[in-house]
Amino acid sequence: MNFSNVRLILAREIRDQLRDRRTLFMIAVLPILLYPLLGMSLLQVSQFMQEQKTRVLVVGEPRLTGFPPLFEGNRFVEGGPSQLLEVRFAPDEPELHDAADPRAEADRLVRAGRYDAAVFFPPDFATRLGEFRATLHASARSTAVATPQSNGSAKVRPLGIPSPEIICNTANDKSQIAFVRLHGILGRWMERIGEDNLAKSGLPVVAARPFLVHCNDVSDVEHREASMWAKILPILLLIWALTGAFYPAVDLCAGEKERGTLETLLCSPAGRNEIAVGKLAAIMLFSIATVVLNLASVGITGWFVAAKLPGFGLPPMAALAAVCVALAPISALFSALCLALAAFARSTKEGQYYLMPLLLITMPLVVLPMSPGVELNLGNSLIPVTGIVLLLRAVLEGHWWHAMQYAPAVTLVTLFACLLSIRWAIEQFNSESVLFRASERWSVRLWLRRLFLDRPRTPTFAAAVGCGLVILLINFFLSLSHGMPAGFGDFARMVLIVQIGAIVAPTVVMALLLTRSPGKSLGLTRPAKWSAVPAAMLLAAALHPMASLLQRLVQQLYPVSDSVLPAFQKLQKMFHDADVWPLLLLIAVVPAICEELAFRGFILSGFRRSSRVWRAIFFSAILFGVTHGILQQSLIASVLGVLLGWLAVQSGSILPGIAFHMVHNGLLTINGRIVLGDIPLLRRLIAPIEGGGVTFEWPAVAIGALLALLTMMWFARLSDDRSSDVVTGKKNALPRSEPREIASLPSEAVACAAIVER
Amino acid sequence: MIQVHELTKSYSDVRRGQFVALDSVSFQARSGQVYGLLGPNGAGKTTALRILSTILRPTGGTALVNGYDVCTQPDQVRRSIGFVSANTAVYDRMTGWEMVEYFGRLHGLPRDLLADRMERLFAQLKMSDVRDRLGAKMSTGMKQKVSIARAVVHDPPVLIFDEATAGLDVLVARALLNTVAELRDQGKCIVFSTHILREAERLCDRIAIIDRGRILAEGTLEQLRDEHHENDLEELFFQLITRHDQECLETAAVGECAE
Repeated sequence: MNFSNVRLILAREIRDQLRDRRTLFMIAVLPILLYPLLGMSLLQVSQFMQEQKTRVLVVGEPRLTGFPPLFEGNRFVEGGPSQLLEVRFAPDEPELHDAADPRAEADRLVRAGRYDAAVFFPPDFATRLGEFRATLHASARSTAVATPQSNGSAKVRPLGIPSPEIICNTANDKSQIAFVRLHGILGRWMERIGEDNLAKSGLPVVAARPFLVHCNDVSDVEHREASMWAKILPILLLIWALTGAFYPAVDLCAGEKERGTLETLLCSPAGRNEIAVGKLAAIMLFSIATVVLNLASVGITGWFVAAKLPGFGLPPMAALAAVCVALAPISALFSALCLALAAFARSTKEGQYYLMPLLLITMPLVVLPMSPGVELNLGNSLIPVTGIVLLLRAVLEGHWWHAMQYAPAVTLVTLFACLLSIRWAIEQFNSESVLFRASERWSVRLWLRRLFLDRPRTPTFAAAVGCGLVILLINFFLSLSHGMPAGFGDFARMVLIVQIGAIVAPTVVMALLLTRSPGKSLGLTRPAKWSAVPAAMLLAAALHPMASLLQRLVQQLYPVSDSVLPAFQKLQKMFHDADVWPLLLLIAVVPAICEELAFRGFILSGFRRSSRVWRAIFFSAILFGVTHGILQQSLIASVLGVLLGWLAVQSGSILPGIAFHMVHNGLLTINGRIVLGDIPLLRRLIAPIEGGGVTFEWPAVAIGALLALLTMMWFARLSDDRSSDVVTGKKNALPRSEPREIASLPSEAVACAAIVER
Repeated sequence: MIQVHELTKSYSDVRRGQFVALDSVSFQARSGQVYGLLGPNGAGKTTALRILSTILRPTGGTALVNGYDVCTQPDQVRRSIGFVSANTAVYDRMTGWEMVEYFGRLHGLPRDLLADRMERLFAQLKMSDVRDRLGAKMSTGMKQKVSIARAVVHDPPVLIFDEATAGLDVLVARALLNTVAELRDQGKCIVFSTHILREAERLCDRIAIIDRGRILAEGTLEQLRDEHHENDLEELFFQLITRHDQECLETAAVGECAE
């Protein structure tokens, strides 16, 4: 790579963007104006909210003689919010004068918005409260002359006092505010009556509150302030890093395409990698600048405005330094993603359409870590973006040691994600179909014509994606319609409906309608060697100890939540009690056939038309994983999907994959039923676990891994032995226009089956 | 200087399915010669020129530019060419001087040499009015001048003009054609695509008439006239294109036509 060209391109792009008023506005002007304006608005709005008066109607007679007063004139006695309540009593309300049912009328008036809330005192409320007090006094007097063992309270009849009622409309914000104010006032009035009752009964007030609970906040001011920033800064950082990258990316790629300047640049001596890297560096710089200016503006606004609020101060300097360190990889990641998307867009307008999907994908990764229950652990630190957010939060809250423990994992994942996205962006610049994507007029007629009449031999990329989406959608709705299976028969029905109805049926229909060679599209071809089938079975058996280890690892990283656990245990018990052969048929045989036909058959062969072999395998595996629906299952299924995809590519058929899948699922199914004898050698390799089943000792894992390695080496050589009409697994072995059809293994579609595999 | 042999390029799109934009095209262009590619819209001219300038990769055949293969030696090819397209491809937020300097530096010209050459070029093309003017504020004629200056600043032996006169008024178009003629006289090898037959007649030493990705006729203007017994180039062009279109329609049913 010629870095002189990269520097030239970088300098030009920076100069170009700095002359663009829209970019300057987004990067420099908006942050400077936005936060002070937001701060001022916030203060104004909060002031407005605080001063907002609410109208309250009081129905019934709450003026009780001998009790602490609730009203003073036309106001509540309580201070504070009572000043903000405009009280009107029922006699002053003309519409209540002749009302047969005052409560119903009050209800109507609140519903109509005449009042924000109403308080209804039942007719006998005062009488019953007075009676209660009299009973209480009598009880207190009798207790004074009774033996110490007697229980005076037993004679008190506290029940039967009708409750005053607050009538409000929670669909109305003002009514909600009125409710909160009234609830507080009436609660405090009730407490005063209670205290008065105690005093009149000769008991000290402390009898009702023998002790108070004190809060001992161990945090110092600095940490309390930091915790506020810990919630704000990561989100700001990520949102602005993305926004700051997006607009320059669209202008520098889609804009250049639109203006025709990209073509000129492409035939200059600057290589495409140099162009991509130069643009990426420029976008990154603008992303970083946007974040820095936003943070500075937030800081200054906070200094003048927010720092006056309690519990809100300036963030610690060390934490700010950590934010700056995190800024570079985050900006690199988002800049590369934006660059790749912008390179794909044909115009700036189209490019801007891509912002919302990108935000929708990114936001959950940013916002979810802000939930109190989500903590920095190994599992979460392995999730791109989320790991960074959690790490930053830990650093900002001052948990340095905890953060440092997971910093390597977060760094590795982030760097890996950065490299992948940068590579994707560079590949976009090397792809003619991306750079010179024509604006084709799309019509249903042409599309249907091509779809059915000009059918390709094997599925297109779009057909493969469509098939995956159809499977996902049907699976989703089926999972909503199904509850927990009541018995094994119900479970069997569920598995068959999902596997046949949701996975294999749409796949076969699409293969028949959209391709000229359904057999090849589904991967139902002769494998390179028939011995690949038993070899795949051997591979599954050899990998079984490692698969068990992987499952345990995933469960440790992402434990199943306690709320779901009982359902899983119930299922496991059901499987344990079921006959083994029907169980194997449902969990090993049916999913192996159905899922392989869909994922390694139709979908993988479709992906291979437009992607390189490993990318096609990877995406089909991701889709296979996503179909499982349960995070733990999805991770394992994705790993399994990569291996199954590779087997399909190497052997040129889905049959070895079906065999592998069958053995893999079968072994996991019967694991809980294995009973170890007293064979010493076996005891060294396999150990029983509590609650049934076995686990594998390290020697067994090592032996299995060695055997698996040898088998995979055999598979790796398989493509060389294949005849020329069978597609090889090697990159670019086939022309892209007509890649070899590879069968795919089905993804785990049934949640129950997935649970069993787990 | 340019040798194209059996050059093929196919695409796939929703409307046309698998579409052959160039079907085994072969021609040669020499130094000091303007080679004209004539064809209607969508004939494959731009595709051919994009392949020659290494923007696109061919799906078949070979193309040598200044002795370098467009597939295996794209860097050398790019250093040997200057490319002027129909859309002037001028950066809105750069001045004329900055733009030419940018491309000169991408071509690795030393600063002193570049400044000297740019001064001469700006004087020669009468570009003093665009020197400090931003691209967004230039007229089409000004933009085309900048585009030419940018293409020739590194003094390439091969120049590619892709419908460079499209959208220009008569005066600017005439000036551009004069510039092309001057460049030819300097010994450059020029490929000039157009669908304006008068330009081709006036400027091109050799002409290839191209339609639907195929070269229908090729030679000097005199050779074409003699071969097809038609003195009027426009009539000759019309006959060739109409006949080829008819053949394609007839053979489309059996799938033999390029399209």
